[in-house]
Amino acid sequence: MKIAGNGTRIILLACLALMLGRSSGLVEAQDEIAVAPPSLVVGEPAGQPLSGEALDAETERIGALVRCPVCQGLSVTDSPAPMAQKMKRQTRDLIAEGFTEEQILSYFERSYGEFVLLKPPLRGINWFVWLAPGILLVIGLAIVVWFFKRSAARTRDAADQGESLEEPADPYVMEVRRLAYGDSEETGK
Amino acid sequence: MNRNVLLIGLAVILPFLGLLFFALGKDPTRIRSPLIGKAAPEFTLRDVTTGEIVSLESARGKPMVVNFWATWCVPCYAEHPYLVAAARQYGDQVLFVGVVYEDEEEAINRFLRQYGRSYPALQDQDGRAAIAYGVYGVPETFFIDGKGQIVAKHEGPLDQATLQQYLGQIGVKS
Repeated sequence: MKIAGNGTRIILLACLALMLGRSSGLVEAQDEIAVAPPSLVVGEPAGQPLSGEALDAETERIGALVRCPVCQGLSVTDSPAPMAQKMKRQTRDLIAEGFTEEQILSYFERSYGEFVLLKPPLRGINWFVWLAPGILLVIGLAIVVWFFKRSAARTRDAADQGESLEEPADPYVMEVRRLAYGDSEETGK
Repeated sequence: MNRNVLLIGLAVILPFLGLLFFALGKDPTRIRSPLIGKAAPEFTLRDVTTGEIVSLESARGKPMVVNFWATWCVPCYAEHPYLVAAARQYGDQVLFVGVVYEDEEEAINRFLRQYGRSYPALQDQDGRAAIAYGVYGVPETFFIDGKGQIVAKHEGPLDQATLQQYLGQIGVKS
């Protein structure tokens, strides 16, 4: 019984060793499998590796800045699409390795272009996108102010003209009136 | 005064109308791949059927065709025969590689048994290869020259003539 037990134990140990050996072999094989190491594109991780709750929070935050390529205006944090889920998982892995927000965004941008960034960076023609609303607002306000000033000036001019009717000082106007009504003395009143 | 209002109105409205007219009809994902002219991202992946490890690096110096596909993708059935035939015909000049996106081994093997196979079908790892190549959907095919640079990207199924044209672009002589 004891021998049998030992035998079983030995067999179990042998199996275990075999499994370990095999699994380590598998791990080695899996290590060979690699896809475009992000460090080749954006350099070595420039931040602190995160884990636990900090990792979850940072994954949500950075994922919200990355556009899901197959959705309509959704971030990879918000999208249930398989592609978005995969990008979110990679975002998480990259944060866990210590890559920074800037590195992660530029990694995705390299393959998908600026389209993948939900917040267009301030460069090139994007300056227009950021500044245009402000510029248009100022132009609009200027037009409104100009319009009101002009109509105010008009009212004032009209009022001035009303006054001058009572007291015509312009010799030209006097002449016209004299020609029209004959008597300049009477209209002068 | 009326003319001024009209001119200012037109100056404000016309650019917006132009923007709406020219930009809104476009699919924003149909932009030129930023990877064109750049080095093809490396990958080392396992062949679904043979278990063989295939690396892009191992094919340095040879032009390559990297096709992202899946068995659940209907247009992939249409282009598959052309790719298989081209890989048989030009196998000595160009390396064909299929990367299977979001799929299961059993379905992939069934597909290859039924529709033929003349080049490796590699299982993507968590979609990492698809992400590295900026893939939006399958099928998408990348044409890489002998220096390892991406020369062209084709979205959607390939037909024989289009495939032939791209192969010419990466220096394959027919």
